[in-house]
Formats: sequence, structure tokens, C-alpha cells
Amino acid sequence: MFRLRTNLTDPVTFSFEGRRLTASRGDTLAAALLASGVFIFRNSPVSSAPRAPFCMIGNCYECFVQVEAMGVVQACLTEVTEGMQITKVSNQIDELGMDIKEVSKE
Amino acid sequence: MTTQLPLCDVAVIGAGPAGLTAACELAESGRDVVVLDEQGAPGGQIYKGVEKVFADRPQDIRPLGREYAEGKTLTRRFRQSGARYQPGVSVWQITSDQEPDLALGLIENGSARMLHPKHVILATGAMERPTPFEGWTLPGVMTVGAAQTLLKSSRLLPEDDVVLAGTGPLLYLYVMQLKKFGIRPQAILDTGPPLSLRTSLLGLRALITCPQAMFQGMRWLWGAGVKTNMTRGVDSLKAQGGDHLSSVSYEARGRRHELSTSLLLVHDGVIPNTWLSMSAGIKHHFNETQNCWVPEIQGAGLTSRDCISIVGDAAGIGGAEVAMLQGERVAREVDAYLEDHQHPQTSIESGVLRRQRWMRSFIDEAFPSTAQFQSPENDIVVCRCEEVTAGEIRQVTERGCMGPNQGKAFTRCGMGPCMGRKCGLTVSRLMAQVRGVSVQEVGHYRIRSPIRPITVGQLADMESILKGDNQSVLSANSS
Amino acid sequence: MTKKYFDVAVIGGGLLGSSFAYGFGQAGLSVALIDEGDNAIRTARGNFGLVWVQGKGEGMREYARWSRKSADDWGNFSAQLSELTDHDLGYHQSGGFNISLDEAELQQYLRMLEGLKADAGEEGYEYELVQGRTLAKYLPGIGEDVAGATYCPHDGHVNPLYLLRALQEGFRKHGGCYLPLSSIDQIQPLKSSGFELSSEGRQVASCERLVIAAGHGSVGLGQQVGIRIPIYPEQGQIIVTERSTEQLAYPTNMIRQTDEGTFMLGASARDVGFNSETTTDTLQDIVRRCASAFPHLRSLRIQRNWAALRIMTPDGFPVYSQSEEFPGAFAFSCHSGVTLAAVHAQDVCRWVVDGKIPTDYRCFGPERFDVSTAN
Ligand SMILES: Cc1cc2nc3c(=O)[nH]c(=O)nc-3n(C[C@H](O)[C@H](O)[C@H](O)COP(=O)(O)OP(=O)(O)OC[C@H]3O[C@@H](n4cnc5c(N)ncnc54)[C@H](O)[C@@H]3O)c2cc1C
Ligand SMILES: Cc1cc2nc3c(=O)[nH]c(=O)nc-3n(C[C@H](O)[C@H](O)[C@H](O)COP(=O)(O)OP(=O)(O)OC[C@H]3O[C@@H](n4cnc5c(N)ncnc54)[C@H](O)[C@@H]3O)c2cc1C
Ligand code: FES
Repeated sequence: MFRLRTNLTDPVTFSFEGRRLTASRGDTLAAALLASGVFIFRNSPVSSAPRAPFCMIGNCYECFVQVEAMGVVQACLTEVTEGMQITKVSNQIDELGMDIKEVSKE
Repeated sequence: MTTQLPLCDVAVIGAGPAGLTAACELAESGRDVVVLDEQGAPGGQIYKGVEKVFADRPQDIRPLGREYAEGKTLTRRFRQSGARYQPGVSVWQITSDQEPDLALGLIENGSARMLHPKHVILATGAMERPTPFEGWTLPGVMTVGAAQTLLKSSRLLPEDDVVLAGTGPLLYLYVMQLKKFGIRPQAILDTGPPLSLRTSLLGLRALITCPQAMFQGMRWLWGAGVKTNMTRGVDSLKAQGGDHLSSVSYEARGRRHELSTSLLLVHDGVIPNTWLSMSAGIKHHFNETQNCWVPEIQGAGLTSRDCISIVGDAAGIGGAEVAMLQGERVAREVDAYLEDHQHPQTSIESGVLRRQRWMRSFIDEAFPSTAQFQSPENDIVVCRCEEVTAGEIRQVTERGCMGPNQGKAFTRCGMGPCMGRKCGLTVSRLMAQVRGVSVQEVGHYRIRSPIRPITVGQLADMESILKGDNQSVLSANSS
Repeated sequence: MTKKYFDVAVIGGGLLGSSFAYGFGQAGLSVALIDEGDNAIRTARGNFGLVWVQGKGEGMREYARWSRKSADDWGNFSAQLSELTDHDLGYHQSGGFNISLDEAELQQYLRMLEGLKADAGEEGYEYELVQGRTLAKYLPGIGEDVAGATYCPHDGHVNPLYLLRALQEGFRKHGGCYLPLSSIDQIQPLKSSGFELSSEGRQVASCERLVIAAGHGSVGLGQQVGIRIPIYPEQGQIIVTERSTEQLAYPTNMIRQTDEGTFMLGASARDVGFNSETTTDTLQDIVRRCASAFPHLRSLRIQRNWAALRIMTPDGFPVYSQSEEFPGAFAFSCHSGVTLAAVHAQDVCRWVVDGKIPTDYRCFGPERFDVSTAN
């Protein structure tokens, strides 16, 4: 998609899904990830189809990622900072292991 | 820093050319102005990253172009204007006129707070028109504006296999910029119609009245066309791939073509970003020529709601030049309005502004939106968030759904996180086509806050001084 | 075409009107369902989706019984509708919890349930108090400070939007005629029998029987056929979150999870006239209560807020009436159109076909308010 950048000015280190990556200070998370060759940001909660940033100005909400201690953010509106740990947003519903039962029959 | 009272004379939302100009004018004449923007630096869409480029990447100033470099003058003036600048702040609500006072809901550093201005200027700019077509949700398909944003803010350049498709000035500007960075896209697929006599005549008028802008535009078009692989009259665009885009196919001159690529950039013009103004209950109408919803403006920038003005592309697409000229007029109007809350006599638009408008009507005519995107086929997803197809929208309309709000209730179309930003225009258009009436008659989604994400916890923890008891705060400020 | 004479015309395409129209269609009648446009005041589009029995009927035993009957019928009703239309309504009769945040709230609520139980006598009134660890087992993540909750096995929930869509779809499948963009302003009783309905001078339909179910629009329409409908708007606000991987298996009085995974938080009550704007303080009240009940849901993103107007009667119970002056004209209003959808589509449709509201149900007539005005 995009060319990898050489000689980053003022680099910061962060991680995506456990992978260590670097970006320029001031980059948005979306730019930092795309520049590092990350193409799939999340999966659609409806069909699980892969999705990635589309508009880069905060309007399509395709760039949602999970940031440690921040929660889910729009990657195109959030600046990358040193040590940031980013993961994909989970859509996985864990089985609750509890059937709906009539409480009063217990 | 001392804690600031959540009050000001004027809150400007948006630090693009329109908002910055209005803020400078008002601050320089002594008003207490707060400028809020969710970006990290001033400049808006056109001048995105301009301060950083000047500071860290001076070699990029030339290829980005003269128009871009002009943004530095504006941001420098702004930094010295005395306006309070709050970057990284998203506005998620404007209180409705049923609430005791006008206030903005803000999200900043992960927490929510309220700001109580006497007047609000919305300068929220533009966004790109939705372009539904087969495969547009695949990673590897982005808008031209998105790629250009990445270039300006982070110097991301596409690989040589990039394909561009669509129409509109921004597409040609970007191609021109790429060329100066030494990148020649694999193909440019122009979906626009050939120039008609009427557009040529409008163009002639624009050339006479706005020679500079016209020459600039011709430079872009010429620059884009020459020595690039431009194909005109493109139709039936498709993006293909598994987890990621692998190829693009299209029809031209009656034949189907296919190109393998990892990046497809699409564009179909820009439309006002009206989500905040719509959520504030301001009246809007559909502009058929620009094919978009625009707020109803009285005077220079006043709206159907007291104490809220709109300026720049958010009030109707005019481009950066118009945004700045309007920014000055709206600032003067707001300054007068703050005195007595009477609608002031509107100053007549200057000759420069009028000429800019002729220029715009030429652009509107020369780059009409793409038919394929306006009337997508039944199996095309129009709502990216909830994955609702054009066929479903047509079906519910045929079965008696009269507008997008009932359609949303029945199909979930527009209920996802983007709140209809990427399907609103398409859905109203599709319904209008089925019903055989105007888009105006079909209407638009009712937009409600929060127009930016806020969590349950953030809202629960927010300190609010609504309920009219902010009188004490107001007097604290004046003492 | 508009001249067509229908067995019955229903004015109002909200939850009540659509339930009736579907029911009449099922009974084999020719039906017109007349509705306004996209921006109408439509309560049906903004509700919480509870099929709820718990706590209902204080002061009117018949209403408790009526809600319970509908809840009991809901399973069959929903299965039939789903089968006909191929739409899943997201209906679950899981039982539901009424959460009380503090002790005072809980005691007050328990006293009310005691009263309802006493009222019900032989019929019985099932509920159970659940607290502490046991409560946490059923409602994982429930806040430690929550005083307790009562469980009622008859409660359930449904996607109200899918319900509305399915009712209209079912009605269509039964050959019904949907007439949108027709705000009825004139009801002309015909000489022998029947009615002619028009909108801005345009004839929309004529019919033998007339059912007014136009939500807040019913008041003016009722007057034209001599029916007084004492209703007023009460605003309710609701918040919906993003789809979440957290799970809440049971609906509660303040929060429930939809089949899509989103959470609905609500619903407030305010008397603000015909105003459907949300307000910051009310939304904050809602999230604060929900955040106390389920602290782990604090991180959920809010997706949408809205306000809708409940159809309230002075005592909170339905107003079902028939015109004495013009036999064949009926008007129905109530504020629990989801819960009562099953009985509306079945029992009430039968009353209309039979031509009168049975004496057992006359307690829902507007005459009950006359007593107090008379003395
Ligand atoms: C992606 C994109 C790129 C463009 N690039 C160019 C270009 O290179 N050259 C050109 O001539 N034209 C370009 N345009 C057209 C351009 O938008 C206008 O000509 C010009 O920037 C309009 O100025 P403005 O001040 O009205 O708004 P903008 O410059 O768009 O500024 C609006 C500002 O409002 C902020 N904002 C919006 N909503 C909120 C909110 N809820 N909370 C907080 N802040 C908010 C945004 O972050 C943004 O900074 C571009 C348009 C887009 C969409
Ligand atoms: C916040 C909130 C939460 C709720 N939660 C629940 C719940 O959990 N469970 C439950 O059972 N109930 C709930 N309700 C109540 C439920 O939504 C209502 O009982 C139900 O929607 C009422 O439906 P209706 O058909 O009477 O009115 P509406 O839905 O308002 O429909 C009236 C229709 O009539 C049309 N109309 C009006 N005038 C005319 C005219 N002159 N000509 C033609 N058409 C006309 C309107 O356009 C509209 O379509 C809730 C309500 C609110 C506000
Ligand atoms: S890329 Fe569109 S919202 Fe971030």
C-alpha cells in the first residue's frame, strides 16, 4: 500500500498485537500502523470481514483499535506515544456457560 | 496552569481556514475565543500538518504546493491572535434549545467536560462524498483525501502500483503532488463525464473572473493528465481481493479491464460535514447542484438557532479561499450579534468572494458526482457499519418506508458507529429514486448526540453545571 | 383506488395500529393501515423493548391480569409472526429482574409487589427476591452496592423495531393495504354505516369499522367521532451502546442487551410536552444508575441517544373506547404497546369484529375518569 519511510525523525516505539514497531513522533496511530505495513485494523462486528482506515479524518470509524489503558479509540484521531500497546478490538463473544433458566425454579 | 472556568465569548469548532480566520478576527478585536479541534495541530484539512512540515520537513514544502504553504501564514497569525487553542478535543454534543443554556460537550484526554460559550461558530469543514461500489470495504481501498492526509501529516507515499478512481479537484491536486514527489500512479480512472458546452462557458466566466484559481486548476488537471495513465469515461468500478485488495476492474470504451494493485484511492468530491449542525437541530436543506445537505444560513453565517453560526465548507462547499473570506464576515457579524442579539445588517459580499463563487459553480458543473456511486446496484453494501445493501433499502422503500428514519429502524442502516456519515446521502438518494420524489422530500437521518464516541463512564463522571444554575459561575467570571 | 371500501381502517402505523392491522388481516378482513411520513411523532420507534409484567397494575387488578395474559400469549404470537414473515423478532421470555440500587428503593418496590400479590389473590403473583452472590450469578458484573433485585419469570424482551417491521410485513402478506403520507384530518361518518377518511381534502379510504390508534394524534381524531381520549406525552430517554462482548442474559428495568450485542440503557420519565430532544442531565441520570448497577459496563461506547414520547393516561392504564354515537368506531391508546402487542393483535381485534368491547374490559374505558370529575 504505502512505502516504508526511511530515517524517521524523532522515533517512538509502540506495539501492535505484540509486534514491536516504530513511528515518527506526532504520527496518528493510523499513519503509524499503515507506515509499518499493518493493513488490517479490525474485523467487522457484523460479518467479521477485515477492515482498515478509509477516510483518515474521523468519519468512517473503520480505524477503531484497542489501546491499553485508553480503551477503544479512532486510530486516525489519536497520536501515537512512546510505549503504546495496541491490539485489535475483540468481537469474540465468550460463551457465558450459563443458560437462561428460570431463577425461581432453583 | 490555573483551572479555567468553562466559559468564553465565542467557541469556534474547527481549526481549518474558516475557523482560524474567524477566531483571529474575534480574538484580535478583544473577544475571549476558544478554538476546539480534534486534530493535534491547526490547519484543518487543507493545511493539515503545515506547522510540522515547515519545522521538520522543509523539503516537502515545494512538492505540496504554494496553496498549501500559504497555510503557514494563517497558523502563525492564529498563534499570535490571543485565541485560546485546545487541540485534541472532540465536540460530541451541542445542548439542544430545550436545555437551560447553550453548552458544548467535549472529550479531552479520555474525559468529558462542558464548555459554556455565549456564541458558537461551527467550522467543521467538509468530508468526502460516500462512494459505494463493489469491494469498497476491503482494506486497501481508501479515499484520496485519506491518502493525501497521510502525505501531509506523516509523509506517507503510496507504492507505484496505486490506482486512483473517481472525479473532483482534490483527486487532480493529489496526483499533481504525487508527481512532484516522483510518483506516477499505475492508473487514474476518471469517472466524470466529458466537458459539456455549458461547463465550458461557465469555465470561461470563471477564467475571466478568477484567473489565478483557474490557472491553478488547469495546472492540476493538465499536470494530472500529462504523462500519467489517465483513462476517461470509466464505469463499473470494482475492488477485488480476499482479506486485502488485490485488483481493480472497470469498464471503459465498452471493454472490461483489470489491474492488480494493493491500493485503490477513490474520490467523488466533498460535501459539508453537517453532523454537528444537524445534531444541534439547525435547519438544513438539500442542494441539488452540489448534491449534498447544507445548513440554512441567514446573513453571513447565522442559522435557525440563536447563538450558533456556521462558516466555511460546513456551510456549503466553497473551498479554502471562500472559507477565509467568509471567516472574516462571520466574525464581524458575530461581534455585532454579541452586543445586542439582533441580526445585524449583513455586509455585502465582496467582489473577491463573488468571483470565488462563480469559480465554484464551474467546479460544481465540471465535476458532477459519479453516477455509479449515486445509484449503486442492489448487492452493493451502502452502510459499511451494519452491512446493509442498496437492495434492502430499495425493498423497504417499495414496501412503504417513506424515509431514512423508518428505513433505519427496519434495516439498522445508519445505526452503526459512523452514524450514517458514510451512507446518509446514498440512502436518501436511493429512497428518492424509488419513490420518484426529490431528496429534499425524502429527508435525512435525524442526527442526535453523541456525534463523537463517549463512554458510559465518561458521561457518568462528567461535571455538569447545566440546569440553569451556572449563574453563579457566570458572576464568578465577571468579578 | 382510494375509493376502495375496507372492512376496517386503522389510523396510525405505530405499534398499536400495526398490531391491530396484522390481527385483522389474520382474521381475513380487508384492512387499510393509514400512517404519516418519516418524521412523524412515533413512539413505537423509540422504546425499550420490554415485554413486562412485573410491577404493573397497582390500583387496577385488571391491568395486571391483562399484562400477564399478553406475556403468556407472546410466545405463540411471536412464533406465528416470525414464521409468516421470516423475521426473527429477537424475543426471549427469559424472565426479568427489577434492580433496586439502594435499600429504600428495594423496600418500596417489595411493598408494591406485596400489594399486587394480595390483590391477585388465588390467581397468584410470582416474583422472587434475589440478592448478593446469587444475584451476581444471574447478572454477572452486578455492582456490589446494589441492594437487590426481584425476578419475575413472565417478563421478557424483544427487538421493538423488528416487531414493528414484522407486524407491517405480516399485515402486507395478509393482503393489507398500507397508506403512508396520509395524515387524516377528517372522519366523515357515512349515512347508513361506515366512515370516510380524508387528509387535506383528499379522500384516503372508506371503511365499515374504524380503529383510531394514532398515538398522540388520536386525541383530535377521537373527538370527531365523539370519543374522549385523555392522554398526554411523557418523555422518555434511552441510550444505546456499541455492540459488546460482555453479556447480560436477562432484561432488567434499567438495562438490557439486544441480540446484536448492544446494550440499551433507560428509560427516563419526564413531562415536557411534545419535545423529543434529549437532555444532558437526564442522560447522566441514566448512565449513573446503570454504571452503579453494572460498573463493568462503564467502558462501553455510547452509540445513540434518543427521546420518545410515551402515551400516558392520568392513571397510567390503557384507554380503550368505542363510540356510542357512531357504532363501529373505536379508539385504543396505551403506554405499553410492546407488552400488549399479543392481546392487541388477537383479543382486541376480535372485539372490533364483534362490534363492541366486552363488559369485562369496560374498566379500560375513559368513563373511569368521569367519576372523579363528577364529585
Ligand atoms: C480529507 C480532505 C482533504 C482536503 N484537502 C484539500 C487540499 O489539499 N486542498 C484544498 O484546496 N482543499 C482540500 N480539501 C477541501 C477542504 O476541506 C476545504 O477547502 C477547506 O479545508 C475548508 O476549510 P474549513 O475551514 O471550512 O474546514 P476544514 O479545513 O475541513 O476544518 C474543519 C476542522 O474541524 C474539525 N472538526 C470537525 N468536527 C469536529 C468535532 N466534532 N470536534 C472537534 N473538531 C472537529 C476538524 O478536525 C477540522 O480540523 C480537503 C477536504 C478533505 C475532506
Ligand atoms: C422511552 C420509552 C420506552 C418504552 N418502553 C416500552 C417497553 O419497554 N415496553 C412496552 O411495552 N412499551 C414501551 N413503551 C411504550 C410503547 O412504545 C408505546 O406503547 C407504543 O409505541 C405506542 O404505540 P402507538 O401505536 O400507540 O403510538 P405511536 O408509535 O406513536 O404511533 C402512532 C402512529 O400514528 C400516526 N398518526 C398520528 N396521527 C395520525 C393521523 N392523523 N393520521 C394518520 N396517522 C397518524 C403516527 O404517524 C404514528 O405512526 C415505551 C415508550 C417510550 C417513550
Ligand atoms: S479512518 Fe475513518 S474514522 Fe479513522
